[in-house]
Amino acid sequence: MSPTLSLCRFELEAALRGRTASFFAAGFGLASVAVALVGLSAGGVLAVQGFARTSVSLLELVVWAVPVLALITGAVAGADCHELEFTASLPVRRAHIVFSRWLASTLTLGAALLVGLGSAGVVIGLLAGTADGWRYLRLIGVALLILAATLALGLWIGVTARTRLKAVGVAVAVWFVLIIGVDLAAIGALAVLPPGNAGPWLSALLMASPIDSGRALGLSLFHADVVAGPTGAALRAVLGKAGAWALTAALIGWTVVPLTLAGRQFSRSDL
Amino acid sequence: MIRLEQLQKSYGARPALEPITLAVAPGEVVALVGPNGAGKSTTLRSLAGIVRPSGGHAFIAGHDVVTDSVAARSRLGYLSQRLGVPASTVVRDLVRLVASVRGVAPAMAVQTLTTAGLGDRLRSTFGELSGGQRQRLMIALATLGPVTALLLDEPGISLDAEGSEEVRRAICEARDRGTAVLFASHQLHDVALLADRIVVMVQGRVVAQGSLAELAQAAGVACDGAPPEPPIERIYRILVSRGRDSAASHLTLVREDAA
Repeated sequence: MSPTLSLCRFELEAALRGRTASFFAAGFGLASVAVALVGLSAGGVLAVQGFARTSVSLLELVVWAVPVLALITGAVAGADCHELEFTASLPVRRAHIVFSRWLASTLTLGAALLVGLGSAGVVIGLLAGTADGWRYLRLIGVALLILAATLALGLWIGVTARTRLKAVGVAVAVWFVLIIGVDLAAIGALAVLPPGNAGPWLSALLMASPIDSGRALGLSLFHADVVAGPTGAALRAVLGKAGAWALTAALIGWTVVPLTLAGRQFSRSDL
Repeated sequence: MIRLEQLQKSYGARPALEPITLAVAPGEVVALVGPNGAGKSTTLRSLAGIVRPSGGHAFIAGHDVVTDSVAARSRLGYLSQRLGVPASTVVRDLVRLVASVRGVAPAMAVQTLTTAGLGDRLRSTFGELSGGQRQRLMIALATLGPVTALLLDEPGISLDAEGSEEVRRAICEARDRGTAVLFASHQLHDVALLADRIVVMVQGRVVAQGSLAELAQAAGVACDGAPPEPPIERIYRILVSRGRDSAASHLTLVREDAA
């Protein structure tokens, strides 16, 4: 087994032994089932066509809960890298230490996410039928993309901040900016830019946040773009059907770039 | 082989290590001694790749510790004063990781642990071990595999008499295998027993180096081992005091074969 794979296994074993994933699986599972039941009862189970309506409610849960948890988890894992003096003295690249931590967190929290959304999926399937079930699976994929991206961003924050307290503080602030700041910037852009010219800017703005990218991508799965706001409408106008691919690419970019920066930062740091 | 060429380290504007040139030959044991803040740990941490040197070069088995760091660390065993392992880490996982990255069979790694008296602690977490057990574990892991250079930062700390004896034995065994050993210690008795050469550091500078006899001569102390105190403690006090007295007083004894 290569040193990097050994390191990944070591980190995965440590992450599985931690309680974060178990708590997340239980909490997210309960919340998802609750949202699914409320969604079904609000619409009237008989009137609901399978997964579509409830999934939009679950998407809101995903875009609020997953990023904040992933940012904080990633930030703590990143800050803790500076305590790994022994691991850093082994013949492994520092960047691989960061990567293995990201992979371990993504796999464990991803499994917890699957448990949560899977539980809700079972409830929806039993009560409202399996129509649009494949779209629900894609929604889970979107949730995993958001998780991977925000974990990577959190790791970069943690590696840069160096201490847990500072890292968590910055992570919460970044979450707030990503979830609210982009919407405020869109409102500002609409007010400032001349009518008809705002489309490309608003589309770019949508991709400037992994949370908004994930939300717009999730909504597009259920043809619910109408609730994606002005940025989502602009994306449809500018990129049409390629919008979903652009959003997916943005989420992958939001994973790769922070992860690379975290690896570089950690490689150059004194422990 | 461990080699430092004008290696230096600064934290911002504050120099932690003035340019230091030093070599440790295969099978040689060299001790770094000096008061707190002398630069002993910084020297070892720079060699282990834990901190980046601000200048100069350092080599482990011919590999530059900055530009060829993975290859350098593949021949290096390092014991940090801080140990640097999360408390929740399970001993078995740690052993498996080290064995895997060093290309050692897991059974051999477990055998090493058993020899160190930790065979029954494989399922424990690092936090559950006593201070002495942690130290013994980390020394066992540092010496595991094809290590040709061993860096030990305060290896005798937290250890009882039996543990200290084990450390001395581990250092002697490493030396007998042809490993270059560089260790930092405040335990001057161990230094006198183990080191072929002693490097005295003060405020980031090497103020003296040589064998115990050479240092005794430089300090003007008769090396007769007479009570009430071992000569090394007197030698140490004199040399450190001189080093502190004047930044310009670079009293340096360098053995030609070690330079």
